[in-house]
Amino acid sequence: MGLLRFLGRRMLTFIPTIIGVLFITYIIAYLIPTDPVRAWVGGEKLLNPEALEQVRIKYKFNEPWYIQFSFLVSQLFSGQLEDPIRHRLVVQELGTKFPVTVEVAIFGFLFTVAIGLPLGIIAALKKDTLVDFFVRFFALFGSSMPSFVLYYFLILALFVYTQTTYLAGVPLPSDACTTMIAGLPTSIPVLGHIAFYIGQIPMFGAAFCGEWSVVVETFKRFYLPGLALGMLSGGFIARITRNSLLDALSSEYILFAKARGLPKLWIWRHALKNTLVPIITILGLQFGGLLTGSIIAETVFNIPGMGRYIYESIMRLNFPAIIAGTLLFAIIYVTVNLIVDILYAAIDPRVRY
Amino acid sequence: MPDFVYKALVKVIDLYTRIRDRVNPEWSIRNSPRIREWKLMAYTYSRSPIGLVGGSLVLLFAIIAIIGPALAWQPYWEYKVVENPDLWLSPPCFPPSCSGFPLLGTDEWGRDVFAMIFYGVRISFVISLLIVLIGAPVGIVLGLVAGYKGGVVDEILMRITDMFVAFPGLVLAIAFATVLPQRIRGLLEANVQLRDFLLFLFGLRPEEYGQLASLLSVLLALVIVWWPIYARTVRGSVLSIREQVFVEAARSIGLSTWKILVRHILPNVLSPIIVMMTFDLATAALLSASLSFLGLGPQDPVPELGFMISKAGQYFPERSWHIVVFDGIVLLLIAFGWNLLGDSLRDVLDPKTRRSIEVRLRAKKAGKGGKSD
Repeated sequence: MGLLRFLGRRMLTFIPTIIGVLFITYIIAYLIPTDPVRAWVGGEKLLNPEALEQVRIKYKFNEPWYIQFSFLVSQLFSGQLEDPIRHRLVVQELGTKFPVTVEVAIFGFLFTVAIGLPLGIIAALKKDTLVDFFVRFFALFGSSMPSFVLYYFLILALFVYTQTTYLAGVPLPSDACTTMIAGLPTSIPVLGHIAFYIGQIPMFGAAFCGEWSVVVETFKRFYLPGLALGMLSGGFIARITRNSLLDALSSEYILFAKARGLPKLWIWRHALKNTLVPIITILGLQFGGLLTGSIIAETVFNIPGMGRYIYESIMRLNFPAIIAGTLLFAIIYVTVNLIVDILYAAIDPRVRY
Repeated sequence: MPDFVYKALVKVIDLYTRIRDRVNPEWSIRNSPRIREWKLMAYTYSRSPIGLVGGSLVLLFAIIAIIGPALAWQPYWEYKVVENPDLWLSPPCFPPSCSGFPLLGTDEWGRDVFAMIFYGVRISFVISLLIVLIGAPVGIVLGLVAGYKGGVVDEILMRITDMFVAFPGLVLAIAFATVLPQRIRGLLEANVQLRDFLLFLFGLRPEEYGQLASLLSVLLALVIVWWPIYARTVRGSVLSIREQVFVEAARSIGLSTWKILVRHILPNVLSPIIVMMTFDLATAALLSASLSFLGLGPQDPVPELGFMISKAGQYFPERSWHIVVFDGIVLLLIAFGWNLLGDSLRDVLDPKTRRSIEVRLRAKKAGKGGKSD
């Protein structure tokens, strides 16, 4: 009950944050001295003042700013907002871009955990040895490496020389599979909805229909960006893991366990359990960061995800898309924070809300 | 090496105390505990290998940043078109295959990459310093005020920082970096002296003031992204320090809020902030390079490291691996130096760790001495 009340209160404080985020985006848009409509209407239409005027009226550019803002926000929340450059609903655009970013984020997250946790644990258990030194060096190295340089090197090693991956397109499930997933919510009441949303992520959708070749292709396509993201943040996770495990190992209950003569493995297990609390927080925030899309990774690895979409939208002054993307980012941030709070309570029995 | 660094640092401290004594007689006597603590810091720092490596890297790049543009044997605005004079552009090349003696090969303008690195280091070093030195004080002041005043002020300031934190930093920075250049350009056209000063600071020639505007917009964009982290951290520490007895005492004597904040609270929150700033200098250098990599920073012919790598990406890997490798290594080393320095400063600036390190080192020394006797 306490947890529910706490979550409710947190949700309430997040509402002004989200409105503020939207407002900041709008203010940034207002700072631009150029006319965005001219940037949207390209080609021959640019010469036609009537076409310009139509777009201007459609997005309420001839009204005062608060009407523009409320128009954008209300259209956004009702899902009617149209991307003025691609002429599709912004919701649809996000619906195709976001699942790709989720796939990359999952790979990145898996590699981060697979690199960071073992290294951190080994470094803590072999403290002040050569292994420990190398892990700490690797952690500092990861936080000093310019991400794009690392991406180029990985491309050189795994794409150019060994050719184990490719750098174009996104593997999608077959059309039959997609229509099957689209029909799920009407056929099964609640589970169908959940399966529908999970199935929007191409990899899971394909696995759901049993199209394993698509899953394998997805792995081949996305393990490289995943590895790159994992190498960059793995060192950081390793450092956190090391420090928190060292804290746990030097506490009194471990001393007691040693005094009782428990086997080493048991002692480590006790320590690890308490180590997890801070790591879960950091990992949750990392995953949230990955979900917003790594712009540079998506540019270098040619991934049509959220980060690239937002970047291109900013470059072309595509405000409807930017506002929608920002809203999604803010929602992700809020949800990730909430989930981390819940996990906190689940792992650590001392935490009560 | 450690002894030399220790002696040099002690000399600097002595010089400073002598100057303070000249201005304010008996200052060193009244502040002798503080001076002893500084010398202890110098001792622990000089004994940490990580710190020495980081410090020398930072020093090396600082020297390159200061005298680099004067040393570069080829100005960045002199294009030598080596291979295809009629095409103007030529693919980058590495020594055995290209004419002349470019040390680290050339870029597509036919300029020596090594000479361009001198300019690049200057830009990267100056921009990261400016980002942190502008962003951190803003955050520190707001954090101090929010934490000490509490109540409505605190609530409003923290909600604002929340908004900034909820954004992915790079996206917000990109948005500002796209929007700002035109505004800044107008400002620069109006202020000729400011423009010349900034051009000198970045090591650019007067013709490049258009590029300067986009460089400054990257700078401003990152400053806007930067301050909330400091505001949050400082506020957190102020909240706990505010309740302590010495602050209560200062308040009861009737000191002004400003004086309490600056003289009594700030020194107590400063050391973790300095460590954070050192780490952030690395991040700022990397992020500003990332923004230029995305094409938001200065354009041709300014040899910004991130921008040069992004151009080299088009020819990667056959013709331009050397640009990615060498510029990448330089960026890596700049960030690495700051990170190493920050790692050792964390130990040096924390009074407890400082003491324990000193005790351990002295014990080790005594043990060794005992054996040899």
